[in-house]
Amino acid sequence: MSAVDIPVGSGPTVMATRGLGVRTSSRAILEDITLDFPDRMTTAIIGPSGCGKTTLIRTLNRMTELSPGLSIEGEVLYRGQNIYDPAVSPVIVRQKIGMVFQRPVVFPMTVYENVAFGLRIAKFDEETLHERVIESIQRAALWDQVGDDLYRPALELSGGQQQRLCIARALAVQPRVLLLDEPTASLDPQAAKSVESLITELDKSLCVIIVTHNLLQATRVADRTAFLYEGRLVEVGPTEELFERPKERLTEEYITGRFG
Amino acid sequence: MSTPSVSEHELLATPAHTRRRILTDRLAQWLLLLPFVAVLVPLGDMIYWISERALPTMSWSVLTENQIGNSGGLHAMIIGTLTLIALSTAIATAVGILAGLYTAEYASPRVAQIGRTAGNVLAGIPAIVLGYFGYFLLVLYTGWGFTVLGGAITLSVLMVPFIYRTSDLAFSAVPATHREAALALGSRRIQYLGRVAFPIALPTILTGIILAMALGLGETAPLIYTAGWSSTPLTGLFSQTSFLTGAIWLFYQQPAGLGTLLALAFQAAFMIMMIVIVVNVALQWVAEHYRRRLRGLLS
Ligand SMILES: Nc1ncnc2c1ncn2[C@@H]1O[C@H](COP(=O)(O)OP(=O)(O)OP(=O)(O)O)[C@@H](O)[C@H]1O
Ligand SMILES: [Mg+2]
Repeated sequence: MSAVDIPVGSGPTVMATRGLGVRTSSRAILEDITLDFPDRMTTAIIGPSGCGKTTLIRTLNRMTELSPGLSIEGEVLYRGQNIYDPAVSPVIVRQKIGMVFQRPVVFPMTVYENVAFGLRIAKFDEETLHERVIESIQRAALWDQVGDDLYRPALELSGGQQQRLCIARALAVQPRVLLLDEPTASLDPQAAKSVESLITELDKSLCVIIVTHNLLQATRVADRTAFLYEGRLVEVGPTEELFERPKERLTEEYITGRFG
Repeated sequence: MSTPSVSEHELLATPAHTRRRILTDRLAQWLLLLPFVAVLVPLGDMIYWISERALPTMSWSVLTENQIGNSGGLHAMIIGTLTLIALSTAIATAVGILAGLYTAEYASPRVAQIGRTAGNVLAGIPAIVLGYFGYFLLVLYTGWGFTVLGGAITLSVLMVPFIYRTSDLAFSAVPATHREAALALGSRRIQYLGRVAFPIALPTILTGIILAMALGLGETAPLIYTAGWSSTPLTGLFSQTSFLTGAIWLFYQQPAGLGTLLALAFQAAFMIMMIVIVVNVALQWVAEHYRRRLRGLLS
């Protein structure tokens, strides 16, 4: 098909970046990032604070363009298509490539309406919508906790439940790729565990890309890990390999906790 | 270790400076009551002063009869005022909310700043100037002559800055994270605004509308030169109309002998007060009801 369909690991590549750069008027935040994200796998992006992880993941579904003053070069490919092509609508991009943020952002609506949000704006009929809402809540392992009352205010849920609600809301739109920016950073260990096990479940059917500060979390959930440093990709590979036999000295210093 | 006796327990010891602070606190609480009362007293006094003069001669005929010569009622003025305020509120609300939305959501910081300044300037223009402006534009230039519509449009210019400002503030106060979350789900900006931002902003916007309506209800100057005058009720958007503030202005100046007209002036003032109170209570109820519904959902 295209140059992007290089098989990496087992699944084909769903997303990839080619020479991706993001810069402000005065400096580069990301430079020359070329990365493949295989299907049905979790890829973790790690690196010290300020190295550009959030910028990278936001660039993968065109959220970056909501921050004024950032310019983007290179390509981000979704199944071979550059998502920054002028003919491509960011609305469609974000439906295919869902995103969950560090802090759960639930809307002031019921649990049901939160999950239905993306479907309503995409004008799904009530019946499909209902099915999808139920299914997404189940997929996000939230049914046991909210299934008895889907019409209560979403803000009554605990932090961990809210984050899983956000994941359910993202899943309802049926994306092929799920982007997670430190999804457990604002959660307690128990809630973080539940989100982690959800991720390992989800990547059986999705391409999951997760930014994390927590190296142990990367080893627990990620099949592949990419290490960023000062806006550059230092190393990428199977998680085990990267952590046990890093090829680069920088990677080794970072994972052994010598900086960051 | 020995347990200290109750009297010397550390929680019971109140050092002098703490006692002083408690006193200061009490004092501040009482002192702050003064300005609060200062707000209420003139209002209460005014209500009393007006009621005292309006109520003794109040009857249904004041509501149902047109004024003829020195007698009759305020029928035409009440209908005129209600129509004017309904029209001007509709216009000012539509323009104010949309302009506030644009300022908060779409405008560049520079353009937003210009808009906010313009709104403040507009709020500061004397009502009489707006009246002349309306006269030249809506009475003469359009060739409409004196009309309800011209009056309502002029009045809406007076009201719009308040609705504009609160709408701008309300939309600006919606957390940016909500926008990102909505857009990340494939929402268009307008869908985010309608489904997420607007419901959150609505209670605050309602406050602005209440303020603007109270202000509009009390104005005379913008209407004198635009709405004209008529002792019979208006018949359409392009007919002249009388209005309650006009009745006060007109009848209060009458020679002392014409006691009935003076009474009508006070009854007109009383009616305005009643309308302001009813509108206020109604809209505040809506806002509170809505806020509570949101709070259950918001936090
Ligand atoms: N909109 C922007 N305008 C200017 N600079 C920005 C913008 N967004 C991010 N940056 C800068 O880019 C660099 C990378 O930021 P980013 O948020 O991507 O880092 P990060 O790796 O996610 O850090 P953390 O681990 O702390 O979340 C930072 O120096 C930041 O100040
Ligand atoms: Mg970050």
